[in-house]
Amino acid sequence: MKLQGKTALVTGGRGGIGRAICARFLAEGARVYAADLSEGGSLDLPGGEADFIRLDVSREDEVRAAMDRVLDEAGKLDILVNAAGIEIEKTIKDTTLEEWNRSFAVNVTGTFLTSKYALPLMRKAATNGTTASLINFGSYDGFIADPGLAAYCATKGAVHALTRAMACDHGPEGIRVNAICPGYIDTPMLQSFFTGEGSGGGGKDIGALQQAVRDVHPMRSYGTPDDIANLVNWLASDEARYASGQLWVLDGGLSAQVQQMKL
Amino acid sequence: MSVAIVTGAGRGIGRAIALRLLADGYRVLGCGRSARGDDFPAGADWVQASVADTAGAQQILAAAEALGRVSLLVNNAGVQVEKTTADSSDADWDLVIGANCRGVFNMCRAVLPGMEKTGGAIVNIGSISATAADPSMALYNASKAFVHGLTRSIAVDHGPKVRCNAIAPGWILTEMADDAFALANDPEAAKRDALARHPVGRMGAPEDIANMVSWLASDQAAYVSGASFTVDGGMTAASPLNPGSF
Repeated sequence: MKLQGKTALVTGGRGGIGRAICARFLAEGARVYAADLSEGGSLDLPGGEADFIRLDVSREDEVRAAMDRVLDEAGKLDILVNAAGIEIEKTIKDTTLEEWNRSFAVNVTGTFLTSKYALPLMRKAATNGTTASLINFGSYDGFIADPGLAAYCATKGAVHALTRAMACDHGPEGIRVNAICPGYIDTPMLQSFFTGEGSGGGGKDIGALQQAVRDVHPMRSYGTPDDIANLVNWLASDEARYASGQLWVLDGGLSAQVQQMKL
Repeated sequence: MSVAIVTGAGRGIGRAIALRLLADGYRVLGCGRSARGDDFPAGADWVQASVADTAGAQQILAAAEALGRVSLLVNNAGVQVEKTTADSSDADWDLVIGANCRGVFNMCRAVLPGMEKTGGAIVNIGSISATAADPSMALYNASKAFVHGLTRSIAVDHGPKVRCNAIAPGWILTEMADDAFALANDPEAAKRDALARHPVGRMGAPEDIANMVSWLASDQAAYVSGASFTVDGGMTAASPLNPGSF
């Protein structure tokens, strides 16, 4: 029970990765708020039940209201996980301005807004030498590009830089800021990427494509949401009290290799 | 006329660098473990010596200083052994580390006293494999990481008179790359696949690296030191997974 007594808010809490993080936090003893745009899907998870907050992270009024509720009910926030994100599967030639703006509104502005309004609550948690932990979601796509994901790649690069900036600015307040940069994780978003026209996967044998993707990984598999939750849990815990400002790539070794020619 | 030393100049990238530096107006001294090849450019000098030995490096420096003031060193000599760590022998270590690490160190150490007096530039040929691994190239990958690390140290320790930079080439079509394709089950399919992974639509030519050497050596790069520039046709900007190329 690494998170006993801590309060956490996870955006995108009903998504593939967010839900696994909520479940893990509950099992570790935390009080968990799952914030999501989606109303569907049970939050009665192994380990307990998360409180639901309906939240569009790109709307300042909604973010402020969400943090007001957490303050009223819990009095502080030890852990903020910015897992909400969207992915537009297009090159910039095909991306509309509306799609571009929506990508930045959710992935970048959303991270900014939730962080901004969580900071006062996190300062209340960071007392007597205990640190608070803010965890953003970048991506290995913030370092190297997948085809047909231009706006997504750009938003994740922005999250990486914002993570380092916030770590510098708020470290003195006892708030640690890190980003997790997942590679291929088995989520609905990944399935959409496999079947998407823009990514080049459209119309192909999905099973064969998935196997080919696994084969390119040194670990010969892609990751699960639980693999991500394992690291989020550690970064959220007091064991990670000296970890801040870093981009934690978790990709089964995918980006440790140069392009694998078929020799 | 200022003298440029190019190690491993007999073929591939080194030969292209020697040709380019001749065209740029340098007095060029090429060197290698073999005797001068018939196709080595007539305008350039040659010394047969191994950079892996301290004595060899001194021999190369002496030959260069006999030609004039040494203002440029290009450490291009390198070898690769295609093995994992578990399979690599002591002899493999001596060969790869000897040429790729000790050789670069020997040559830099030899030219630095002169360059610190009269100024100069060093360009080391590293590799994209220094930051991300090619499979079964363990010692080679590690040796190239050394090259980029030493490059930064020399820039820091021996500025302002000496600038030191490294180039990380991607897949350059040389005899070394041809060997790799020749080992493929289907060499033509392997080349097609490799092409699909290059945003610029082709693999590199030795001249692409020579162009960057020429620029890094020139006054245009007067403020560039301690840097590593990747010249790979965009390959490492892309994810190793490219569904479009399946």
